[in-house]
This record gives sequence, structure tokens and C-alpha cells, in this order.
Amino acid sequence: MRIVVAMKAVPDLVEEIELTPDETDIDREYLKFVLNEWDDQALEEALLVKDATGAEVVAVGLADDPDIDQALYTAIAKGADGAVMLEGGGADTHSRAAAFAEYLAKEPADLVITGVQAPDDLDGQLAPMLAARLGQRHVSVVVGVEAKDGNVVVRQEFSGGRAHVLELPLPAVIGLQASRETPRYAPITRIRQAMQAGGVRGESVSTDVASSGLSVRRMFRPEQTSHAEMLEGDVDDIADKILELLRERGMVKG
Amino acid sequence: MAFTGVLAVEEETREVFMNVGTAGEIIFYVVSTLTIGVFFWGSYRRVKKYRRGRAAFRMANLKKALFANPFQGVRRREDTWSVGAVAANSSVARRDRAAGIAHFFVFWGFITLFIGTVILTIDYDIVRKASKLIVGEEMSFFQGTFYIVYSVILDTMGFTAVLGLAYLAFRRGAIRPKKLDYERAEKPEGGYSRSKIVLGDWVFIGLFAAILATGYFLEAFRIVATGFPSFEVWSPVGWVLGRGFEAVGLSTAAAGTAQIITWWTHAALALTFVGMIPFSKAMHMLLDGVNLLVHDRSSVRHLPAPPPEAEHVGYQELSDFTWKELLDLDACTKCGRCHEVCPARTAGAPLSPRDLILDLRQWADANTGGITLLDHETRPDRTGPLTVDHEAPIAGGVISSRTLWSCTTCMHCVEVCPVGIEHVPTIVQLRRGLVDQGDMDPTLQTALKNLSTQGNSFGKSARMRARWTKGLDFKIKDARKEPVKYLWFVGDFASFDDRLQANSIALARILNAAGVDFGILYEGERNAGNDVRRVGEEGLFEMLADHNIAALESAQFEEIFTTDPHSLNTLRNEYPERGASYKVWHYTELLLDLVESGTIPVRSLGQKVTYHDPCYLGRYNGVTEAPRKLLKALGCELVEMPRNGANSFCCGAGGGRIWMDDSFLEERPSENRIREALGVGVDKFIVSCPKDVTMYSDAVKTTGNEGQMEVRDIVFLVQEALTNKPAEPGDLLERTGV
Ligand code: SF4
Ligand code: SF4
Repeated sequence: MRIVVAMKAVPDLVEEIELTPDETDIDREYLKFVLNEWDDQALEEALLVKDATGAEVVAVGLADDPDIDQALYTAIAKGADGAVMLEGGGADTHSRAAAFAEYLAKEPADLVITGVQAPDDLDGQLAPMLAARLGQRHVSVVVGVEAKDGNVVVRQEFSGGRAHVLELPLPAVIGLQASRETPRYAPITRIRQAMQAGGVRGESVSTDVASSGLSVRRMFRPEQTSHAEMLEGDVDDIADKILELLRERGMVKG
Repeated sequence: MAFTGVLAVEEETREVFMNVGTAGEIIFYVVSTLTIGVFFWGSYRRVKKYRRGRAAFRMANLKKALFANPFQGVRRREDTWSVGAVAANSSVARRDRAAGIAHFFVFWGFITLFIGTVILTIDYDIVRKASKLIVGEEMSFFQGTFYIVYSVILDTMGFTAVLGLAYLAFRRGAIRPKKLDYERAEKPEGGYSRSKIVLGDWVFIGLFAAILATGYFLEAFRIVATGFPSFEVWSPVGWVLGRGFEAVGLSTAAAGTAQIITWWTHAALALTFVGMIPFSKAMHMLLDGVNLLVHDRSSVRHLPAPPPEAEHVGYQELSDFTWKELLDLDACTKCGRCHEVCPARTAGAPLSPRDLILDLRQWADANTGGITLLDHETRPDRTGPLTVDHEAPIAGGVISSRTLWSCTTCMHCVEVCPVGIEHVPTIVQLRRGLVDQGDMDPTLQTALKNLSTQGNSFGKSARMRARWTKGLDFKIKDARKEPVKYLWFVGDFASFDDRLQANSIALARILNAAGVDFGILYEGERNAGNDVRRVGEEGLFEMLADHNIAALESAQFEEIFTTDPHSLNTLRNEYPERGASYKVWHYTELLLDLVESGTIPVRSLGQKVTYHDPCYLGRYNGVTEAPRKLLKALGCELVEMPRNGANSFCCGAGGGRIWMDDSFLEERPSENRIREALGVGVDKFIVSCPKDVTMYSDAVKTTGNEGQMEVRDIVFLVQEALTNKPAEPGDLLERTGV
């Protein structure tokens, strides 16, 4: 089985994020970029499948993402069999999906796993768009992928503690919410070795085949509200106060 | 009777093989030769095992210990020991005087008796036989004055050995100090038994005692049988014992019979003992002197790098260990001193440095066909140290990963070990394998990840490192931009931890007011990597160190001082190997200098306090005096806790433990320490390490002693004692909203 993990580098959220002077984008100049944490989970899940079945795992990213090479070498250090860096493709999710699809047409995968979302794609569009472009099955918000008799069994979680277990034939695209285990640690020595061995391969794809057609007019920083009210009294008092507050704000009726 | 008639002069002597007869003598020689063969075979096997280890580069230590500095360590524990210290049993008497004196008696008693036997062999088997061959007649020096002096020395030294041994047996059997019970810290699921080890100890003591006793009985029977020749009074113990036998009516003839029976018993015991040396606890007699001579405590301060040419990371087979590390394993006498002081063991964690060494020893033996007769643990499920042929990895199998992760690298085990074992480097080498396999706490993993992306374990942006300086009403110089005298290496905790930034602010204000020319590296600083290295993440350590070194090289300064003892250790001892040698001070040393020279005028505080020595400051780097002198200069009365100075008890945070879960511990080391402090009747607990402030403030709360004990960094005492105070830092904190 060949598993491709589609990856994205995103700004490290511990950094203070600034806007560009025209306020239509964040200022990427001094930002540190790290692997999208859901993609890290996707990689872990792929490696778990590899550990269980001996599948081949390939990490793929876009060369335009800052510091993506770091993430790709780290993937190799963790146990991926290879990594590919795509030259071309645009920044928004539509063109990312197009770029990945173009690559996958050339080097098809049995299973594509990607993070269900990213800090700049909270709608989780990449997995469904990619599946649509590839004409393959798709499941998102998945919390576990296991191979079974040529199919995959995935677990999909919903709010309220409900879950689906689905079995689907391959090929398929999975948007992963959480891996079964905490993503493994890549020792620096191994990352260095991977860099020395130079296991990341470049591939070119066409640029801007399909942008979303949307343009950003203005970005705003989130409003800061740092107001907290401590409720005092015994348990009943506090419960009453909470209820009252919820009623006041129209969150519960009656 | 052999040879008596041929002796040239009838002088004071005794017959060597009295009553044994020629056949007996032949039997004795055959059995002795076989025994010596067994001894050398066993010893050869051990040496062969050590030779499978890597180079340890300890020959310079050996030379120093023998020739250049033969009295090193006799009076004070230093990094290395010496032949003088071995002779004086300094390492044994340290911290356990009674046991040390008893051991000294046994040690010298045994050596004297051994030398006595060698002298006798030289006379009997070489001088007499050679002289018979060459000059045709037997000559001997074992007579006259020589014999008398010989007798008196051997008799008394043997007796001191009896006394020493009696005390040691009494201690082991009746006093039963906790450290001598062999209960494991980590209880294997399938059960275990160490009764053979206990038996082995008693066989060792018992054999030795029996050899001494039969020796004296033999002497007494001989004296009775030969009718108390007057010169035999120079064997006083035998003489008195002989008189005793005479008094209870032992006849000369019966004494003769008893003599020959005892002779054979004595010989059999002695030969058994010799043959058993390489296969039992007795091997420590040969190995431990060597281990002490090649010991070097500084290996803990600057850890050895991973094996350079290994194809794998971490220790996976015997040949990954250095010969010193392998020798360490066999050297352990199970004295339990490390077991007793270990903070992990005290806290109920599954680690005892003694067990770790014993397990590795047994594993090494099991995998090299090494045989110990009794000195080993048994387990029904043959796990852990009993595994053979790579059935289980060393790190994570033979020694469980929980055990390895429990170590705080506090170095207390190495400090107290009387036989020069260096546990910590071995533990770190094993941890390197665990890191490579990703076998670690998720919280540790997160910390390492943060350290690799942002250079601090808090996961905060590297650019926020100097943010705490916004709480100051002056700007600290940027040493990368302008020259300063002192470069302050602030460290992670003092920079990022909200609770500790006030310490940094206070220190900065004091130094600024005193006119000290200092600067910091601002966002150029990274975690120094001390604990990262001790976690076993060598690659990350190299990355952090190289980053810091580049930053240091870009800055202009004369000397460094640090607030963090952990950073101090690696900057002082490990950065030089990477090409960065600087003079590195701890802030207590700097403050002391400023107070003593009057640059900082202080008034007397008159407070009663106790002081906690951070492991990495006191034990690792010997800085115990500066903080004490500083307290004195501030007019504080220092009440010492029982464990202080180099014997200080670890707070539990070192070696990366601060990034791991400690909720499973029965009693956190920091809680144990706070209870110790309460016991000396003070309510001010003074520390000089930022991590300690956090660790002990928490411990005061979790032990329910809030209000009973105040944990304070020494810098606040200085601040309180200032006669011309800068504005209260509290005001500033509020003003700037830090
Ligand atoms: S260094 Fe400290 S915690 Fe580690 S084994 Fe030794 S005594 Fe125990
Ligand atoms: S390692 Fe050293 S201190 Fe610990 S039990 Fe063995 S000999 Fe004693």
C-alpha cells in the first residue's frame, strides 16, 4: 500500500502575528513556520499503518511553504520512506488541492491522509477538494485508520461522544482529526542524517491552475477581551448564577 | 616430618608443614595449583569481558593516581582518588566512619596475612629449594628475629581483621541498616528473589572469619603440641589461646592431632576462598582498588559523547560500554549508599542506582558466560537482568524505561559510591537509546519539540526571551551590540516563567544600582542544553550549544555569570569541548564579591534561615561557600539541614525530570526536602536556582505547610538588605503589566 501524507507549513502560533501594511495578509517575513499540527497527526497515523502492515509512506509538501523542507526531513527521520516537494501550486486551499491532485495523478497513492484542518483552513476544505479532484472516496474528522483485507477501516467521531466505524475500499482520501498515538518524536540526529542523505525529491506542478477566485479585502486582529468574573458562594449559589447568566445571554430557554 | 633435620641452625621458627607428611604435602601442592588455576581462569574471563568494552581513556587518571598525586582524596573527596586514598580506605570511611574503620582493619589485616603467606612461600618454596640445588644445603630466613617480628605482626594484624570483621558481621546481622536490605526499587511483575545474594555475602564473611579462626586455633594447637617454646609468646593470640586449651586440660598429644585436623581445615578454607574470588563478592578485593584508581567524577560534569563510530544510537550490546563502565558493574559491593541517597528511590520511583548496576552486571555476566556462584538475583520469568541473546533491549528491557527516566542526574550516587562507580554517564548513554526510539513521556516530547523549534521548553516564541526586561526602568545592554564586562546568561526559567521573572528583575536592579557593567544576549540566547543532554537528546544539545556559542562569539564580554546552575554546569564544563571556553560564575559568587568589596552596601538582616544547595552548583561544581558567605555577610544565621553542601538532597527537577510527570511518586523529593527543613526549625528556605523556587514553593503547598515556610531566592535577601534601595520592583511590575 502506498500512503501519501499531504502536508502544510503554517505560522508557529506562539509567535506574535503581525499584519502586512495593507492589512490583507499576515506578515510572513519574520515568522517561524512549523508543520500544521493536524498534518503531524496525519503523518503519525500513516506511520502507524506502516508499522502494522509495512505500507510505504511518502510525505508531500509545497516548496512555497516556508520551512517545509524541515517538516519533510523530519517525516523521513520519523520513518517515512520518502518525501516530495512540489514546485508550483498556489497559496489557497483550492490551488493546493489542485497541486496535490496533479502530483497524485503522476504517482498515484492507495491512500491519502492529510490533516482535517489547519489554522488557516478551519473549514477543513483540503481533504474533500482533493478527493473531488481525484474522484475518490473521502472521509473527514477521522480518529483512526487501520488497514483490513485491502480496505481501510476508519473511525469518525462526532460531538456528543458518537462515532462511526466505516470500512471503505481504496483508493481514498482521509482528513485526519487525531492519530491513535501522540505523534512520535524525531531526534535531531536523525533529522540531520536525513538532511545529509538528501531524501527529499522535487517535482514540478503547474502554477495557479485553480485559485478560489476569492480575494481578501481586509484582515482584523481578534478583539481582545480579557474580562473574567469569579463566581463566589456555595455550589448551589454558583449553579444558580451560571444558569442566570446563560438565560441572560439567551443560551438556554425557559 | 619434612626437612627439619637439614636446617642449618636450630633457631626460633616453626615448621611449615608440621605433621602434614610428604603425601599430604603433595596433595596440598596439587590442590593449590588447581585452585590457583581456577582463580586465574576466572580472573581471565572477567578481564576478557572488560576488554570487549570500548576505550575509556583513563590511563592518565591511573598514572596520576599512582605517581603524580598519590595522596589525592585522602582527606577530601576530589574528582579522582589515588593509591594513598585506596590504602587509607578514605572512600569507605567517608560518610560511614564505623564501617570505614572496620573495613580498614579487615583490609590491612587481610593484606598483611596475604603478604605473610607470600613471604613464607618465598622462603619455603624458593629460597630453601634453590639453596639446596645450588649450595647443596637448605637455607632459610624464616627463623630467629625475622620469625619473631613476622609472628608478632601477623598475629596482631590478623586480630584487627577479626575485630573489624566481627563489627561488620554484627552490623549486617544485628544492626541491619536499611541500605543493606536488598529490596528492589523496581518490583518486577513476575517476582524476584535476592536470597542468593544475601547468602553470598554471608559465605564471604563466614569463609573469611573461619580462615582467621582456624589460623589462630592452628597456631594455638601447635604451641601446645610443641610445649610452649618461650619465643612463641610473640604470637600472642595463639599463645593466650594455647594457654586456654592447656587450662581446660588439652594434652600435648591431643593438641598434635587437633593441629593436623585444623591444618587441613584451614588449608581447605583458604583454598576455597582463593578459588572463589573471581566468582563472588570477594572479587571486589581485586577490582575495586583498580576502579578507584581510574575513577573520575568529572565524567558526570561533562558527559561523554555517544560512541563515535557506533552504527546505532544508544547502548545495544556489551561492546557499546567502555571497559570502565563494565568494570563499574563488577565493582559494586552492594553497600547501598547510593540506594539510600537516591532521590528517585526515596520518592518511590522504580530506580535505585545500586539495582541498576547489579542488573547490568548480571545481564553482562549472563551474556558472556560469566559465572557468579551466589551473587545473583533469581526470577521465575527470567526477565530483566536474566535476559540473554538480545531477547530484550538493554534500555527499555534489561533496564526498564521507567527506571531510566526516573533519574534526576543529581549525581549523589556517584558522590557517595565508595568504589568509584559512575552511574550517571551510563544512565545517559542508555537514555540516548530511549530517545532514539521515542520511548518517553509525552510531556518530555513536547518540551524537546519546543526546545528544537523555539530554543526554550516553555514553547514560547524565542523572540519573547528578553521580554521580562520590560519590567525595568533602564535598558540592559545588548552584549551583541556593545561591549560589557559580564555577560549574564539568564536561562529559560528566569526568562520565561512568570513566577520567576521577578527574581531576574531584582538581580538586574541590584547590579545596575551597583554600577556593574553587564549585558545579556536578548533573543540570541537559547536554553543552554544541560538537561537536554542529560535527557539523552544529544543532537538537540549540540544544536542548542552551537547556537549559543555562535551568539557568544558575536558578543563582546569578559566573563559570564548565570542565574541557573544547570546552565552554569554546561557552560563551564561542556562548552569548552565545543570550542567556547569562558570564565563562568554563579550569581551568588558575583553578589558575594560585590557585598564583600562594599560595592553593594548592606545592613544586617538578622534572620534565621536554611539554605538548599542545588545539585548542579554544590555537588557538581563545588560552589557551596559563596552562598554561605553571602548569607553571613547579610547577617543571617544559617541553620544547616542534615543534608547540605555536596551531600545536598535533590529537588527532583534535574536531568529533564522537570518536563516529566511526577504525580506517581509517593513523596516528591522536594516534599521530602521541605520536611527536612521544617525539622531544623526555620521558616525561611533560601535557594539559589530559579527552578528551586518553583519546585519548593509547590512542595510547601502540597505538604500543607503554607505559611510555615517561606521559599526565597537569595537575591531577595540581598535586595532586602540594601541600604540604598532602588524603587520597589513590585511597582514597576504593575506599571508595565509584565
Ligand atoms: S543521579 Fe541521583 S537520581 Fe540518578 S540514580 Fe544517581 S542518585 Fe539516583
Ligand atoms: S554502586 Fe557504589 S554506592 Fe551503590 S551499592 Fe554499589 S558500591 Fe555501593
